[in-house]
Amino acid sequence: MKRLASRLVRVGLYLVLIAPLLIFIAYAFSTRWFFPQPFPTEWTTITFQRALHDSRTFSSVTQGLWIALLVSIFSLIIGFPAARVLGLREFRGRQLAWLLLFLPTVIPPLAIGMGLNILFLRIGLAGSIFGVALAHLVPTLPYTVFTLSSAFARFDENYEYQALALGASPIRTFFTVTLRLMMPSLTVAALFAFLISWSQYLLTLLIGGGRIITLPILLFSAASGGNPATIATLSLLFIAPPILVIALTARQLNQHGNLIKNQF
Amino acid sequence: MKRLIFALLVLSMLLAACAPKSEAAADFDINNWDSVLEAARGQTVNWYLWGGSDSINAYVDNFYGKALKERYDITLNRVPLADTVDAVNQVLSEKQAGTDPGSVDLIWINGENFFTLKQAEMLYPDWAQKLPNSALVNWDNPAINLDFGNPVDNLESPWSSAQFQFIYDSARMGEAELPRSYAELADWACAHPGRFTYIDPNGTGGFLGTRFMKGALYELSGDAAQWQKIDQALWEQYAPALWDYFNEIESCLWRNGETYPQDESELVNLFANNEVDLSMTNDITGAGRWIADGRMPETARAFVFDNYMIGDFNYVAIPLNAPNKAAALVLANLLLEPEFQAAQILPENGFGLGYAIDVNRVTDETALAALQESASKLGDAATSASDLAKSLVGDSAAEYQNLVQQGWLENVVQK
Repeated sequence: MKRLASRLVRVGLYLVLIAPLLIFIAYAFSTRWFFPQPFPTEWTTITFQRALHDSRTFSSVTQGLWIALLVSIFSLIIGFPAARVLGLREFRGRQLAWLLLFLPTVIPPLAIGMGLNILFLRIGLAGSIFGVALAHLVPTLPYTVFTLSSAFARFDENYEYQALALGASPIRTFFTVTLRLMMPSLTVAALFAFLISWSQYLLTLLIGGGRIITLPILLFSAASGGNPATIATLSLLFIAPPILVIALTARQLNQHGNLIKNQF
Repeated sequence: MKRLIFALLVLSMLLAACAPKSEAAADFDINNWDSVLEAARGQTVNWYLWGGSDSINAYVDNFYGKALKERYDITLNRVPLADTVDAVNQVLSEKQAGTDPGSVDLIWINGENFFTLKQAEMLYPDWAQKLPNSALVNWDNPAINLDFGNPVDNLESPWSSAQFQFIYDSARMGEAELPRSYAELADWACAHPGRFTYIDPNGTGGFLGTRFMKGALYELSGDAAQWQKIDQALWEQYAPALWDYFNEIESCLWRNGETYPQDESELVNLFANNEVDLSMTNDITGAGRWIADGRMPETARAFVFDNYMIGDFNYVAIPLNAPNKAAALVLANLLLEPEFQAAQILPENGFGLGYAIDVNRVTDETALAALQESASKLGDAATSASDLAKSLVGDSAAEYQNLVQQGWLENVVQK
């Protein structure tokens, strides 16, 4: 009886999680679905085909993936040393450093974007993939630094000393000890950066200036027209890469010696 | 500390070195069209326009995109916007940063956005009437040479025209039941409580809402022409009647007028989902584009009142710092080509707005025949050309826009 109840709860939860996706699919592949029809009556793949045949769809996905990838790499390169110091050391001004790093999460992105756009226009970074990726670092860095520094707070530096004492070079120590121990947190941090960058609209629009067109830009412009079929189609395309990335990285995530999937 | 400053200096120099070199401005003389075509060859024109309609997007790519490539070796880069103001902001940011060349070549624009860029002196001057096809445009028409009451001053070139209309579902209502004036509309709305609403004049798509209200102002005052110039006394004379009209119908509206749809798309959803019986549009094809987009039932039809249906034009403008001005000029000229004007009004092509050119000025006989044929094939979902012409009136002076919007908030919503 208890098992049955827990199974029901489980199925119910799955349904709640998957329902929005099902509605997207119903909208993406139907047309003229009006009240009071409970289900679509006219099914069609026209909207989906149109989206797939539009060269802009493909280029927006690849541009978005490129940017998100660059942002993940940059955030780790910048975030790793910052997180290490913030997580392991006590020093004067540490709180101030935290505050500075977290400011972007409370300042409206419009304010940041407008200012950055003018700066980037002056130095010629606006409208380039590199410039957009740099701008995306503003909202992603707080999350990478936070994730990594909490991992560093639990990090035991004695492992590194041990390796050094045993004669390993600092570089070897870094790659075989530090990176290995930090790997799960690095994956999570990179994932955060990827997801935040992938879904950026405003910063991409402002810094990209129309030359960089990612999927969220297509999605927002479609949303302004309110056609549910187009919005649903683009949304399905939009959630595909994050789901893939999460599915792939979930296998890599290793916590307390257990794979995440074994914990459930 | 010194090292840090040095590093920053090096970094900023590196970044500055990455700045795009300003291209040698392609030489052309606008009075010599061949030199414009020559300069435009091989350019990419970055056209920023609202991208919320699949069918308009497809029309732009399939018609102009192809023709530009095949005839002039120009690549069209259509930049889809959620709101035209984004393009305006981009140009203004570029102005502030002193970026020349910028990134925007052409903007689909009218009204307030045009006014903003005009005031900022960020529009490429003195070109619209120098396009070869500009001869087909009736520049003496105040509806063309004034954009929301603001002189166009040769800074933008028309693309298409629009006229306010209503949409009903012929499966739900008979033609005889349709109201044919604002007075009849009020009676109809209160005989069918909750089945009518209009677009919030202050909403994101408020231009349709204000247009609907201005039509009421015209009818209540009995004349449209007197509103073409701002006249405070006239406004104060008729404004109370306007507020009375809207307060009277308020309790008969959808949700008792407690809330209003913010744009055309929201009203279309209410209409298609059978919550209200009337929708509004500016399209010459009436409900045609909405049916093609799958947003309305195929039985949707457009209709007009007997009078006071406001019409206007929309335009394209070139920013002062546009990187490919020659290509933008070629595209603006292409928009006025009779062949494409004839194509843009056909419902199956998906654009749905009307002619910007004056058909009577077209001398080429085949082109004229094509234009006349298109006009006769607007489809069942459109209002007949004679009904449109009979009810057509011009927009009022720009100042009334604000008076209507503000007054509606103070006298209708907050009452």
